[in-house]
Amino acid sequence: MAEITLDGVTKRFGETTAVDDVSLTVADGEILGVVGPSGCGKTTTLRTVAGFETPTEGAVCFDDEDVTRVPPERRNVGLVFQSYALFDNMTVRENVEFGPKMQGVSKRERVERAMDLLELLDIDELADRDPTTLSGGQQQRVGLARALAIEPRILLLDEPMTGLDAQLKTHLQQEMVGLLEDLDVTVLYVTHDQTEAMVMCDRIAVMNDGVVEQVGTPDAVYERPANDFVADFVGTSNRLAATASDGRLDFGHATTPAPNGDEGEVTVVVRPEAFEVGAGPFSATVSERFYLGEHVQTIAELPDGESVTLRIDPTEAPSPGEQVSLALDTDRVHVLPQS
Amino acid sequence: MTDPATDDRTDNDGDAPTHDWSGSDADPAAGGGSGSDGDPATDGGTVTGGITSGHAWQRSPSALLGRPLVTAIFLSTFAFLVFPVVVTFVASFAREWTGVLPSGFVTFAHWEQVLGLASYEDAANYSLRLGEVLRALTENPLAAPGKSPLFRSMWLALGGVLVNLVVGVPIAYAVARYEFPGRDLLNAFAVLPLAPGIILGVAFLRAFPELSGTDFGLIVGYSLLKAPFMVMAVQSSFESMPLRQLEESARSLGASWPRTFLSVIVPNARRGIISGAIICWALAAAEFNFSYIVFSRGARPLALFLKANISNSSFLTTAAAVSVFFLLIAAVTAALQLLGNRAFTTG
Repeated sequence: MAEITLDGVTKRFGETTAVDDVSLTVADGEILGVVGPSGCGKTTTLRTVAGFETPTEGAVCFDDEDVTRVPPERRNVGLVFQSYALFDNMTVRENVEFGPKMQGVSKRERVERAMDLLELLDIDELADRDPTTLSGGQQQRVGLARALAIEPRILLLDEPMTGLDAQLKTHLQQEMVGLLEDLDVTVLYVTHDQTEAMVMCDRIAVMNDGVVEQVGTPDAVYERPANDFVADFVGTSNRLAATASDGRLDFGHATTPAPNGDEGEVTVVVRPEAFEVGAGPFSATVSERFYLGEHVQTIAELPDGESVTLRIDPTEAPSPGEQVSLALDTDRVHVLPQS
Repeated sequence: MTDPATDDRTDNDGDAPTHDWSGSDADPAAGGGSGSDGDPATDGGTVTGGITSGHAWQRSPSALLGRPLVTAIFLSTFAFLVFPVVVTFVASFAREWTGVLPSGFVTFAHWEQVLGLASYEDAANYSLRLGEVLRALTENPLAAPGKSPLFRSMWLALGGVLVNLVVGVPIAYAVARYEFPGRDLLNAFAVLPLAPGIILGVAFLRAFPELSGTDFGLIVGYSLLKAPFMVMAVQSSFESMPLRQLEESARSLGASWPRTFLSVIVPNARRGIISGAIICWALAAAEFNFSYIVFSRGARPLALFLKANISNSSFLTTAAAVSVFFLLIAAVTAALQLLGNRAFTTG
């Protein structure tokens, strides 16, 4: 277990800058999710922490130790990949034993350690199986057991759930959260799936174009996005232009009280659940309706032509073409800081 | 052959539609008796075909002829190719082969000669002495290569395979794993020796005249000529696995790069390496062109030996050599696959 500090890390590949001056701290025992679209630099960041990329500029520290130039095999960092990358020339148990074996742990102890971990992950009956015969979920657990067998200071997970079916994914997410908390290990969790990051992580770093746009708890990132990109990437959002003055937000076709003392031209982030159908200042025409079970996702058009996404209870959902009146819960809107 | 139709018709009634595919080619109504010549499985199909024969789509020519035609072509091709091998094998135990069929069974003289256990002069007055053959083999197995073209070629080919393993596997790895300047060039270079052996042989002689005919020269030549097969087989194996992630997993678990390469990367590519080795070995052991150009002294490589004997009276010796060669390829293939899988399982 260790604290990870990235200090002004920049990684360039020729002309392209994959990671641009990233500074991040992952506290001891914390699970930090790194999310972002593909190509945003999240995997490069993870590989830099693992030691497979040397930063062009900046430093990587584990606690007070500068590990920027330490080769991966001497960092004691556990890695789990999306492809699991199990060694199919070894049995499941031999896979888990591999790390301790490289560390020079005695045969007896490493067998014991491997069996303990397989038991912990509830796959001890697979110990002598060939990894190629396992299902995706089972391989994922073996990959995790193998990474944990070296008793890593830091665990790096690179899209470990991608490729699993939705139900198994939900199940494994809950299971893994409990496990990681019990193990009390520092985790860097890279994923493109922001929902997964919200479930799994204590804090989330949202990356775009090699830059960290915002770091914060899942609710902070969702409710108080730092900028347009974060508001758009995390969850569904309506971004409406408004003019703020005298404690009011003027949308042109409607006005509401302003949550903060903002002034001037602003962008207001409104989550779909912040709109409520009923008496309110907004009038809109429903254009589309998607039934999703627990709620109905409804697209409606405002008088200025802007489309908004609403989340409405199925019993109250209007049909396309209907005129509706919308109220806005101003406690749940967020005014983006002026850029 | 008894017609199982009446018995099976009742059994299979309910399943009939699910067996349409097997019935279509052996429809008794449309296809005459063609189905009854087949194996029991096909006959089972006859029954269900009979039940569902009302469908028009089943009467299309491809449905009617497809399977029997493919089977017939396959069997006749197979017979055509296998027949010479079988006759050669049988003939290698004959004393003479002047008419249509070989005669004068059974003698091991040709085999002994091929295995380097008897000189050509002895062959005529040969009498069966299996005990002696075995004793010679066990006492001094390494003496045999000197005399026998077959063994010489085997050893030389094996040397070529070893060189290919040492050079070809890393090249395949580099090309599959890394993007680097000159990658395409290296790839092209690795495949270049697909050029005929005669060209390489001439070039080789010009460049290294002093290596001509030495074991070393032949080994280097064989390895160079057969390198593309090794590189291609191993490369496709590497490309089919998550190479970088395997490597990085092993590194993160504390394995140094050489350790990672030897205990994870190479064993995970074992199938490609084994098949590459088999192909290289078999092709090198039978290589004619390069051997013909470069060879100058010692026992003749197998291909030259076969060529020299193919038209003269000792054709039966050639037959024995070909037989031994086939057996060896089969044995080496089986052994490499069995041992290879086992040898690679240790972490």
